[in-house]
Amino acid sequence: MSLLKIENLSLSIYGTPILKGVSLSIEAGQIVGIIGESGSGKSMTALSVMQLLPEGSTATGRVCLSGNEMLELPEARLCGLRGDEVGMVFQEPMTALNPIQPIGAQVAETILIHQNVSRAEAMKRAREALNRCELPEDKFPMSRYPHELSGGQRQRVVIAMAIALQPKLLIADEPTTALDVTTQAEVLALLKRLTREDGMGLMLITHDLAVVADMADEIVIMRHGEVVESGPCPELFDTMQHPYSLALLKASDHQPEREEHSGTAPLLSVQNVVRDYALPREKLFAGQQYFRAVKGVSFDIRRGESLGLVGESGCGKSTLTRAILGLEQVQSGSIMLDGEPVFAGKKPNRDVRRKMQVVFQDPYGSFNPRWKVSRLVAEPFHLLDDAPVGRAREAAIAEALESVGLSAGDADKYVHEFSGGQRQRIAIARALIIKPELIILDEAVSALDVSIRAQIIDLLADLGTQLGLTYLFISHDLSVVRNVTDRCLVMQHGEIVEEGVTADVFERPQHAYTKQLIAAVPTLPTQEEPA
Amino acid sequence: MLRFVLKRLVSLWLSLVVASVVIFLFVEVVPGDPAAYMLGMNAQEDTLNALREQLGLNGSLLERYLSWVGGMLRGDFGTSYTYRTPVSEMIGERMWISLPLAVFALALSTLIAFPAGIWAASKRGSIADVSVMSLTQLGVAIPNFWFAMLMVLLFAVNLRWFSAGGFAGWDVGFLPAMKSLTLPAVALALPQASILARVMRSSLLDTLGEDYIRTARAKGLSRRQALWKHALRNALIPVLTIIGLQFSFLMAGAIIIENVFFLPGLGRLVFQSISARDLIVVESVVMLLVFAVILVNFLVDVAYALVDPRLRVRS
Repeated sequence: MSLLKIENLSLSIYGTPILKGVSLSIEAGQIVGIIGESGSGKSMTALSVMQLLPEGSTATGRVCLSGNEMLELPEARLCGLRGDEVGMVFQEPMTALNPIQPIGAQVAETILIHQNVSRAEAMKRAREALNRCELPEDKFPMSRYPHELSGGQRQRVVIAMAIALQPKLLIADEPTTALDVTTQAEVLALLKRLTREDGMGLMLITHDLAVVADMADEIVIMRHGEVVESGPCPELFDTMQHPYSLALLKASDHQPEREEHSGTAPLLSVQNVVRDYALPREKLFAGQQYFRAVKGVSFDIRRGESLGLVGESGCGKSTLTRAILGLEQVQSGSIMLDGEPVFAGKKPNRDVRRKMQVVFQDPYGSFNPRWKVSRLVAEPFHLLDDAPVGRAREAAIAEALESVGLSAGDADKYVHEFSGGQRQRIAIARALIIKPELIILDEAVSALDVSIRAQIIDLLADLGTQLGLTYLFISHDLSVVRNVTDRCLVMQHGEIVEEGVTADVFERPQHAYTKQLIAAVPTLPTQEEPA
Repeated sequence: MLRFVLKRLVSLWLSLVVASVVIFLFVEVVPGDPAAYMLGMNAQEDTLNALREQLGLNGSLLERYLSWVGGMLRGDFGTSYTYRTPVSEMIGERMWISLPLAVFALALSTLIAFPAGIWAASKRGSIADVSVMSLTQLGVAIPNFWFAMLMVLLFAVNLRWFSAGGFAGWDVGFLPAMKSLTLPAVALALPQASILARVMRSSLLDTLGEDYIRTARAKGLSRRQALWKHALRNALIPVLTIIGLQFSFLMAGAIIIENVFFLPGLGRLVFQSISARDLIVVESVVMLLVFAVILVNFLVDVAYALVDPRLRVRS
């Protein structure tokens, strides 16, 4: 008998169908990867097993977890099963822990609510669970608070909570999506080890095919609340039939058609840039302490090329971006765009500022929801001395929208009427409207589903060729950088540790850190044998 | 934690110094000659001189400020010009009405607001929630002096359970004294409790939507356990802010209610001494109220740090 058997599960929330006849099963000791893009119903499938569905949900069908019919059990029985028979790990480690309780107490709670043991005994076992999750006592005492830990460490605490009672099934919903690539590799290895050691079943939910390709025994591909295709891994990668599965596979390693650029004239020149941040004063009269976020960085971006900047969180890439945009003054060094400094006197240089624009990661958070698209897209006009008005302004907005594949009629809508991918197109239109030379893409495709990401990457490549744009492509996602840039820089601890032609850097990395980063990137089985 | 408290104490003293300078300048310098202000337009020159002498207005500004502050530190607030009694005595007497009244009202308001807010949040959208929300809406909307008069009509005039006003004094015993503060405290607590209950409810609802509540539920906690063990303490920060503001308001802002119930409290004292142009009393009472507000803010800061470890200084 399977550990988990889901049969013909359908779910609707306030009448809107979310899941349609989902069936899958997980055996003890088996890792099943559930893959799908946003809205595919993969998280709702997991929450149906936990019976932690949002209000207004009605589920039909069968969810049987080691003999328990989860859809029929009363709430009190379900509370007894959650945490004991089935544990769950979530996507966002930064918010998954109670910020005002020490980690030890939070792990011990799982034990205390299910077993009649003393507090001391529960704490002892919580310590063992944390040790198993590679949080040793000397560095991570039980009295630590979540805010004292990094994202990866917090995710280990969440995992410790979920496995403290050695449940039969562990559900991990995008457990590594919010983490850096090296941390992701470590956390995935940890999950795999725990599964093997305890003979647990693992339901690993992700949008990233490559993540599951390495470790899953079975793969289930979902779209629009339905299972599209499923089968054993890695064989499924060769036998995939369904057009959606194939499209997903193709999109996850999408290479746009683009011309290689190797111009010589530098457009942006960054020389020995140093950026310090003042730290909070420890004592009232102590001297001011500084944190050096960028330590003497130098590089050029040549006109027409696409330069990648990769590095993990905290490496200083965002600080460097703000300095390039002239949003903050640097402590020493110079940043010149087209021969002119980006920061003149005490304020950003407007003449230079209008030659560059930026597109940010979050297509939801970077727009004012109360503004119409026309006003959002026309915002950069404040950088121009003679901004077009009336008809000319409307024509410019229409041109910008059409250049990114939207229509002129979209100008009168509000952003909530658009999907994530369309919003990112609006962001690109906003960047293009004043015809800049340099576009800084700050994690611009990181939050998008793979198929949407492939479209945006194509769009950027087309625009680059048509308009002769220069790109600075900042990302933690190495596979994307590999596919869309001519040259790339690798940044660590505020320094550039490696620089070179992208293909060289990826195929023959020199610096130990670059090697480590590249080794940590999960790969698809088909990537190893080029067609 | 100790360092956090010490740092807060330093800023408490700095705030007090700044506040005392501002009050001193506004009362003694901005209106021009305080003696002339107190005596009115038709005062004789020799009376003015005598008053200046009595108030110590002949020294330099710095001397006057230092002697005022020095006096307060020794507990000497000067002598009231209108009543001819030491201000410290007057404040002392009235403080023993205003302070218990404020504490009483705050306790009542918290005792009503916490259960109401928690109940409404835990049963969101139910009849319980809707009734709590409607009642608190009413509580915020009704002016407290009008509510006070209604209570006097019902409980004092018709039912004769309480006296209509005045203060029995602490000499007659604790219970009779508290009894004469009950109606005023209820009148003060009603709008405060309504605001506090609404803040409690919305803060708790926000917290209940957090990811760590879902984590707690995935561990096997019931909805109720997750609320009490994880949501409540996290929801307290905005509630503490409001409690701090309300206490300051209750100390200083009870003027109208004190008037309705003929309670000789601090609020009435400020009111009377402003009408009588008794600057010495005004200056001291205002300083005292400012001190109370700053002290309460300090206590709220410490309470924040007790609730939330992220606010403590890293040691």
